[in-house]
Amino acid sequence: MTQAEIKLCSLLLQEHFGEIVEKIGVHLIRTGGQPLRVIAHDTGTSLDQVKKALCVLIQHNLVIHQVHKRGVVEYEAQCSRVLRMLRYPRYIYTAKTLYSDTGELIVEELLLNGKMTMSAVVKKVADRLTETMEDGKTMDYAEVSNTFVRLVDTHFVQRCPLVPATENSDTGPPPPAPTLVINEKDMYLVPKLSLIGKGKRRRSSDEDATGEPKAKRPKQTTDNKEPIPDDGIYWQANLDRFHQHFRDQAIVSAVANRMDQTSSEIVRTMLRMSEVTTPSGAPFTQPLSSNEIFRSLPVGYNISKQVLDQYLTLLADDPLEFVGKSGDSGGGMYVINLHKALGSLATATLESVVQERFGSRCARIFRLVLQKKHLEQKQVEDFAMIPAKEAKDMLYKMLSENFISLQEIPKTPDHAPSRTFYLYTVSILSAARMLLHRCYKSVANLIERRQFETKENKRLLEKSQRVEAIIASMQATGAEEAQLQEIEEMITAPERQQLETLKRNVNKLDACEIQVDETIFLLESYIESTMKRQ
Amino acid sequence: MAGNKGRGRAAYTFNIEAVGFSRGEKLPDVVLKPPPLFPDTDYKPVPLKTGESEDYVLALKQELRETVKRMPYFVETPEEKQDIERYSKRYMKVYKEEWIPDWRRLPRELMPRKKCRKGPRSKKATDTGKGPSLTNPADVLKKIEELEKKGDGEKSDEENEEKEGSKEKSKEGDDDEEDDAAEQEEYDEEEQEEENDYINSYFEDGDDFGADSDDNMDEATY
Repeated sequence: MTQAEIKLCSLLLQEHFGEIVEKIGVHLIRTGGQPLRVIAHDTGTSLDQVKKALCVLIQHNLVIHQVHKRGVVEYEAQCSRVLRMLRYPRYIYTAKTLYSDTGELIVEELLLNGKMTMSAVVKKVADRLTETMEDGKTMDYAEVSNTFVRLVDTHFVQRCPLVPATENSDTGPPPPAPTLVINEKDMYLVPKLSLIGKGKRRRSSDEDATGEPKAKRPKQTTDNKEPIPDDGIYWQANLDRFHQHFRDQAIVSAVANRMDQTSSEIVRTMLRMSEVTTPSGAPFTQPLSSNEIFRSLPVGYNISKQVLDQYLTLLADDPLEFVGKSGDSGGGMYVINLHKALGSLATATLESVVQERFGSRCARIFRLVLQKKHLEQKQVEDFAMIPAKEAKDMLYKMLSENFISLQEIPKTPDHAPSRTFYLYTVSILSAARMLLHRCYKSVANLIERRQFETKENKRLLEKSQRVEAIIASMQATGAEEAQLQEIEEMITAPERQQLETLKRNVNKLDACEIQVDETIFLLESYIESTMKRQ
Repeated sequence: MAGNKGRGRAAYTFNIEAVGFSRGEKLPDVVLKPPPLFPDTDYKPVPLKTGESEDYVLALKQELRETVKRMPYFVETPEEKQDIERYSKRYMKVYKEEWIPDWRRLPRELMPRKKCRKGPRSKKATDTGKGPSLTNPADVLKKIEELEKKGDGEKSDEENEEKEGSKEKSKEGDDDEEDDAAEQEEYDEEEQEEENDYINSYFEDGDDFGADSDDNMDEATY
């Protein structure tokens, strides 16, 4: 793990779980798998706190435990999973767009708690939704359950690995740690629960909050002592599926930008049809025939079969090669080249970065070298039609920042510099890795700056919070306008100005983090897809 | 070596044309230090994306940041004991739900161990197990009663509570769980004795009131 990644992980863990968990987590990321006592000794924290930190980290799927020989249990941190914490708001927003508020809250609860049983999730979400509804209305458990089941069916939520059921416990002492297993086909199996009930408000005035009891199954009440029907079956958010969704979104919007709305709709349909049939790491989707695509187009789209065929041919002939033709049966078999699409997106990101950092002439040289693969110094000047001095300067600038690299081709076996060709080339994979590393550094800088800004103005923030609390309580007890005015004037005008500036800056920094994370996602997907193919 | 034009004469070992410089031209300066920490940028960055969805995600992010601080998974660092115990601190504590993990899924060594306490002290309520936890008001009241029965002299209830509560918390943070709860109790009492202004033995021996007071006076009389 690079230093930049470790720094970012440390900041994320600290914001989410506090300093103790951060210390343990970063130590594990740095040193790999370690047993409990060694962790306590190396970090200098008490055994108690290490235990608590590990419980929290394991609960959130950030650390896994394994039993090694001689009964030693080792704990290993998953650095890439820690970095995903940056993307939580995006996951929650996606769930909202797909499954509205209920879905949003389900995914939010699962992400905040790491893993939960279905009954716990349903109850909590129903309560939260009931809070926001008008007086007298409550949220039914059945509706929340339905949304949960839909999320599982589309694989956005999956089961956690289970503790294997031990039949006889007297075959020696129980193992020091359970080895959790999960079957592929069980991963999306919803247990048969009948959750009857409605959400409760926190106010005790709601008497009719519980539904009718069913004789056979225990009803879900606030009584925790009743046996939970799905005890031991935990669910977690399936981040890979969300990533698949983001990738599809990126491809569709790229096609829409390059061509038009209709072609993007066609690509979206194709992607939707191959959602569950294509494994997540595949370089291209399963071939789809033109007839199938025609049948699956969204209902509002009235394009004729001929027009569809024309669009498909156009897409397949496009130099970007998002869509490829793999056969002629069924009116033409078409696939979506996922790997190539990710490569194009990563390349576009690189080009855009070069343009914004070094100017459009540099971008021209960059695109030229990308297209021609290998070019000599002289050739660059000729093809780009840029004077030699400037071209040289730009090339060296990009070379020093590692966007472009030099390839040596010796003419003689002794590699004499006077008899060697030096060619400029762009390796997309290494440039992408370099840019990804810079992105991690950027996000870490952004978080640090935000924390610094907040700390600088801590006193002012606390004061304004206190004033707000006072105003709220006075309004509740019915105060006059004049009194409220007086309280509000406790914050002077320049202080108000300062607060405004602070709020604007913090918002800006937060928005930056979110948008850098989008770039991180693209680059990571490309690198992952490339590594899988090797 | 062949190709060397003579001693002292500057000669490049390769064709300088290939790299783009002509002969006799001024070469760029050698860089002698690391690049600046905040380099000047020639071009201003592109403005951020704005829109409804961006605003919503931003709001979600900020809400999430506040929510995670209130979750039971956020482990507070045990504060060092401050010189002056602020009265308001007790009332500003945020009450968090206690979270109990599913022990069947976790290695057994992660479970907190409760050592059995020695006889008479077993009645004393103490906070054991996982890290710093809030002082249960009922336990503290029980403890106050028992300590009062012991007759440790006059102390204000709140001072007692505060000190016990904070001391126990700091003890929980520092001690290994191997420490006996009994030792904890004794240590608490000793600390309490040192911290207050009253001399414990002052009023205990009625007969030797005058004689002992000089010996036991720690503080100057004004």
